[in-house]
Amino acid sequence: MTENAKNERTKPEAPMDTRIVSKADLAGVLTALTKDHAVIAPVDDRTGAVFAPIEDASVVRLEFRNTTLSPKAAVFPQIETLLAFRGGVATETLPEPPETVLFGVRPCDARALTMLDRVFQRDGIDDPYVAARRDRLTVIALACNEPGPACFCTSVGGAPDDDTGSDVLATDLGEALLMRAVTKRGEALIAALDGVRPAEEGEIEAARERGAGAADRIDRVPVPSKPARLLESFDSGIWTEIASGCVGCGACTYACPTCHCFDLTDEHKRGTGRRVRSWDTCALPLFTLHASGHNPRPTKEARLRQRILHKFAYGPETIDETLCVGCGRCVAVCPSGIDLRRILARLDGCVAGGGAG
Amino acid sequence: MSVQDQLRNRATELLADATIDLFVGYAASDTPLKAAVHVARTEAEAEALTWNTFCTPNLAALLPDLLRRPEGAGEDWAPPRVGILAKGCVSRSIVGLIKAHQIPREALYVVGVGCNGVVDRHRAARLFTPAAILAAEPLDGDRMLLRGTDGAEQTVDLAEILLAGCLDCRHRNAVVADETIGDPVPEMSPAPQEDAAASFAARPIDERWEAFEEEISRCIRCYACREACPNCYCTECFAEETEPRWIGVTAEPSELMLFHLGRAFHQAGRCVDCGACAAACPMGIDLRLLTGKVNQDVEALFGGEVSVSLDIAEPLLQFEMTDDEGFITEP
Repeated sequence: MTENAKNERTKPEAPMDTRIVSKADLAGVLTALTKDHAVIAPVDDRTGAVFAPIEDASVVRLEFRNTTLSPKAAVFPQIETLLAFRGGVATETLPEPPETVLFGVRPCDARALTMLDRVFQRDGIDDPYVAARRDRLTVIALACNEPGPACFCTSVGGAPDDDTGSDVLATDLGEALLMRAVTKRGEALIAALDGVRPAEEGEIEAARERGAGAADRIDRVPVPSKPARLLESFDSGIWTEIASGCVGCGACTYACPTCHCFDLTDEHKRGTGRRVRSWDTCALPLFTLHASGHNPRPTKEARLRQRILHKFAYGPETIDETLCVGCGRCVAVCPSGIDLRRILARLDGCVAGGGAG
Repeated sequence: MSVQDQLRNRATELLADATIDLFVGYAASDTPLKAAVHVARTEAEAEALTWNTFCTPNLAALLPDLLRRPEGAGEDWAPPRVGILAKGCVSRSIVGLIKAHQIPREALYVVGVGCNGVVDRHRAARLFTPAAILAAEPLDGDRMLLRGTDGAEQTVDLAEILLAGCLDCRHRNAVVADETIGDPVPEMSPAPQEDAAASFAARPIDERWEAFEEEISRCIRCYACREACPNCYCTECFAEETEPRWIGVTAEPSELMLFHLGRAFHQAGRCVDCGACAAACPMGIDLRLLTGKVNQDVEALFGGEVSVSLDIAEPLLQFEMTDDEGFITEP
């Protein structure tokens, strides 16, 4: 991330600008944004809602719960060309995206973007492909007034009105949308909007109440607070039980807003070609298949264990983050009905001394 | 006694008297419209078994893995004895797997159950949109009450939210079983449903191609369709083979097409139209678009249904000198 982008993303101490846009005006306001921004927003889909680039904001939806896939592709697309080669010469194909507004992401997904930041931009790692998109991204999150059936953000450090990762946090007040600037970048964006007015104290309070009300409706799940303890489960039979219904597909990882593993593949024909980065998944055996034919994770229980421990044990150790934001997508998409909340409860009960202790 | 109570009792007894080592069934899920695949190894775990209209996954998909000889297993390795709850389509998949020599009949204890159809959560969600479904409550008279966010409530006919394939299912009871629980459900002589495969096939080829490309462009390559399918038992799928690599990793139409056509054609003579692939797809791809047509062709060209009995030869696994072969040379 560039210094400038970092600076724009810092959260000032003082309360920032808060504006009101009426629902009737929202489509116009968003459509106006498309003049000098690419705008990505939730739109109708046969599976509920998905994020898509929009030109006419009348298709934008506000009533959705979590979108089918997370918005992580806005910074980390499923497929991207990293370089092109011809005649022994390779050329990096760095993306040059326009300034982009990601509108309507849920607070859990906005928070997940900060986790991807830590993965792709930390201690000497600076992925220029991800950074190019991230640096030009302004996130307008939409607080959840009513959680979905698989939500558990409050158990993993989030909240339905958490502003982590947002530049602007919007709250649906019924007739209008309250937009609170969270970062300088967000403040600059909403200051430039036409058709908005400053929020009144009562409206700010109403937004606060909605967030608190939603938080109360989310069930709590025991999440290990001593991640290292989870490793005690590594060789226990518990993973066979946990994974017994797993069919071994990658739906959970591709739907997940924090899963970030990728594969690199060269595609070539007679000396010309490209290097492609694509999402990869620890849930499939090819992920760890060695050239020798040996596979250190030969079973679905070993693979499911990897996914859970990466989020709840290795993440806290390596980047100081539990790599789960409680969006519940893995729960929603699993063909076998495997429920991460139940896995966490099961681990809590089994790990010596209580993982959540 | 309810079917569910009978199920729990019998699974408990079968585990207790060591007829089986484990029982593959369903358990209740905390997510509306879903049941969890549940493998009970103890009598206590058998108490969690459930049977209802949310039991959509095809349990036979677990069998090849459970019964496959593990790498490095010794001479004395024997497969576990597996009990399994089998609705009609699951029992047909079991027949197919036995005939394909993927699972030994003698390792199985099949508990058959009559099925009135199972829910397709994608269809239900589409009916209910924009609200999300928070709870589903079966009502009398084949109706279901859906409760959702924002206080939304809707009573729907089951037929509106069942897997499309359930509506013209011809085998609602197990075709192979060691015992059955509950009363058999009457088999339907189905009123022909809207024949999606035939009406698709009737469209001009350019339109079909466009629609097919659009449909598969939704694919995220998670392979949930493949893994949820009992027929996809290959330990290495052509889609992931690296030597040679048949398919690249990208979302180019040619690659998605190769996977989906490969998958569909590979189902010829084996697909029992259980709908598990479509239910598993997180992107709601209409995976029956192709298999539906393949299934119709198999039945029309080769005669007979797929995997309905251990004693009847499969349409694509027999050959007569008098077989019509006109379609082979047809331009």
